Amino acid sequence: MIPSLGNFGLWLSLLLALIQFSISNKKISYSSPRVNKITVNLLLISSLISFFSLMYSYIVSDFSVINVFQNSHTTKPLFYKISAVWGNHEGSMLLWILVLTIYNFFLFKLYNKKNSNFVYKVLETQALIIVGFLLFTIFTSNPFERINYTQQDGLGFNPILQDPALAVHPPLLYIGYVGFSAALSISVATLTTQNLEKIEWYNYMKPFVVTAWTFLTIGIAFGSVWAYYELGWGGWWFWDPVENASIMPWFLGTALLHSLIIVEKKKSLQTWVLLLSIITFLLSVIGTFLVRSGILTSVHTFALDPSRGIYILIFIALLGSYSLILFGIKSKKFFDNNYFNLFSKEGSILVNNILLVIVCATIFLGTIYPLIVEAFTNNKISVGKPYYNSTVIPIMIPAILVMGIGPVLAWSKADKLKTFKKIVPSILLTTVMTILFFLIYQSYSIAGFVGIILAFWIISNNLILIVKKNKNYSIGMIVSHLGIGLLILGITGSSVWQKEKIALMKINAETKIEKYNIIFEKIDEIKGKNYIALQGNFVVYDTKKNIVVKLKPENRFYPVTGAFTTEASIHTNLFRDLYIVLGEGNLNNGWVVKIYYNPLVIWIWIGALTIFLGGITTLYYNSKKTKNI
Amino acid sequence: MKKKLTILPSIFFLLILITFFYLLIIERNPSEIPSNLLNKNIPQFETDSLFNDKKFISSQKFGDEIILVNFFATWCKPCRDEHVYIKRFSNEKKIKVIGINYKDNKNKTIIWLKKLGNPYSDVAIDKSGMIAIDWGVYGIPETFIVDSNKIIKYRHVGPITQKMYKKINQIINESK
Repeated sequence: MIPSLGNFGLWLSLLLALIQFSISNKKISYSSPRVNKITVNLLLISSLISFFSLMYSYIVSDFSVINVFQNSHTTKPLFYKISAVWGNHEGSMLLWILVLTIYNFFLFKLYNKKNSNFVYKVLETQALIIVGFLLFTIFTSNPFERINYTQQDGLGFNPILQDPALAVHPPLLYIGYVGFSAALSISVATLTTQNLEKIEWYNYMKPFVVTAWTFLTIGIAFGSVWAYYELGWGGWWFWDPVENASIMPWFLGTALLHSLIIVEKKKSLQTWVLLLSIITFLLSVIGTFLVRSGILTSVHTFALDPSRGIYILIFIALLGSYSLILFGIKSKKFFDNNYFNLFSKEGSILVNNILLVIVCATIFLGTIYPLIVEAFTNNKISVGKPYYNSTVIPIMIPAILVMGIGPVLAWSKADKLKTFKKIVPSILLTTVMTILFFLIYQSYSIAGFVGIILAFWIISNNLILIVKKNKNYSIGMIVSHLGIGLLILGITGSSVWQKEKIALMKINAETKIEKYNIIFEKIDEIKGKNYIALQGNFVVYDTKKNIVVKLKPENRFYPVTGAFTTEASIHTNLFRDLYIVLGEGNLNNGWVVKIYYNPLVIWIWIGALTIFLGGITTLYYNSKKTKNI
Repeated sequence: MKKKLTILPSIFFLLILITFFYLLIIERNPSEIPSNLLNKNIPQFETDSLFNDKKFISSQKFGDEIILVNFFATWCKPCRDEHVYIKRFSNEKKIKVIGINYKDNKNKTIIWLKKLGNPYSDVAIDKSGMIAIDWGVYGIPETFIVDSNKIIKYRHVGPITQKMYKKINQIINESK
């Protein structure tokens, strides 16, 4: 009953999206704001019905639904039953559609008498995107498909996906990805609408871009947290195709966010922003295509089904050609000849825009290069960490330097001497902080030196802005930039000074990493809610023989799926993480134990959270402004 | 001049699209990794057998008929997923399947096979992973088709799916 309701909701959504598409054309007689309002609201309601029907099926463990049968089990905790809704391909498409219709709802909120033509065009494009995803879901990935015979219990859920960080990761990420659809719709509407003079389209676009970017940031961070705590590989970023698919729109989104400021203040770069907003969303969808078509192999493998790949690709082709050809024809009127001085606020934003786009293109090339090589030569190659580290990092270094100075530059043309005076305090602060850091850390390397200087450069610039309390700067921007500084600190510390030790340890054996002595005390068998586990007990002593912490990594076995997982045990403080993973072994020969000493990791998460808070702050102030347009 | 540049994004986009379409359309399988051992004799090995205390000597086990060699482990979730197809090979198609138990625990494997059913005529234990290295195993599960002359005819990386099941059957029939 409920699954049928969910399926009905999908079809109803399709019908409503088609109605929205057709009545958004102002020439149609029965089109009116009221009809449109009803359609938009009903569309939101029907997609909510589908989404919660599937959630209900998961909660009551309705195994007549194939999707529930394949991904759930009665013994699973309620929290993970709920998150299992989007932990699989079909269910995640439902979430994707829900987020699309929520954005659709907010796009309609922009409507007033003066901008009706423009908002109608936005809604038309948004409806087109919604129709595309609905057709895809209904015909290739319907989560409400049933099995005829009754099933005793489900197949269970991959235990490594049972993690709080991963439960919230997809919704946050989708608010990000999908938010860029609104930017694309607004861009298309801007390109096609006549008499745009009175419409400040960039002000419409901004709240959506800020929302998308903010949530994309925190979504990626949660994915990274999951990889760090759950995978037990000691790292937090692996340049996996799926990670690349999320970081590429992030870089472009960052560029978009900043160039929107130039459009707002100087009315320059309009063409560039229109293009960027189209490409950012296209790249989000291309990322989805790469991950779910099975065209690339990755650790995040969703079910491989070529028909899905063909469908998404056709959708990308239609949406992409429509918007890009439109851009090719119509964007000329947005050109301006306002050349501006590079040594100015807009100049610094432009430089960083170019660098961000280059980084994005570099990652894109690395991700699809194995495919291109295979298509033309039939050889298999893989592009990994060394490529990305040696290309992305050098491009980011100048970008970060510029980022530190950009906010203090004046618009139009900055005075060199004044600017220099402004940055003297932060240069001094950076120097002091860097010297202090290395006095405490006592570990030197060029890469570390560069990273730490960059981190403190950003941190001190923004700290000084906070202290000055200058009203000209947006507090959201300062907070986000400060977050970037903290992020760089964490990234540098954990990648430059990471120590790794793999030892074969028997009970009572002792090993040393950095200044810590670690003793393998005992091993216990324990029983969890839906798993049994071997738990190692490690006592960590410092140089003065005081106990620092007891770490208890586990090897878990989940009887339902028959899967084994390793649970790293981690001790975190502001300076470093101690990370122990229990590997294979037995009482006679001992266990393989992996120990990592990861400096400053926590600053990555603090940084990401700070960026997120900055985004939310901007959104808060921006929403006040949006109400006035 | 500058105004013509606006068409560039469409051209780039078109090129990328063509590449993707081409990759989707060609008969391409990311799991199909060419093996250096294709059409060569199998690497021989001697190890313990899972079910009894006898030795598993490969030179005595191969030959005379087509044999599937399946590298598996109880800790590998995809191995569990493909198990139903391995059983179909042995039960429905009456093909001899030799399992190679990769870096695993003996008792866990016996329980696992009791629970899920045992399609293997014999299971060789590869505790250290040396056999897998000799066979050029990329990641488990992996399945090889060995013909009656002890020659490797096909290699599949990753779990066997419905589609692969049909394809492997077809290759087996061709090799007969």
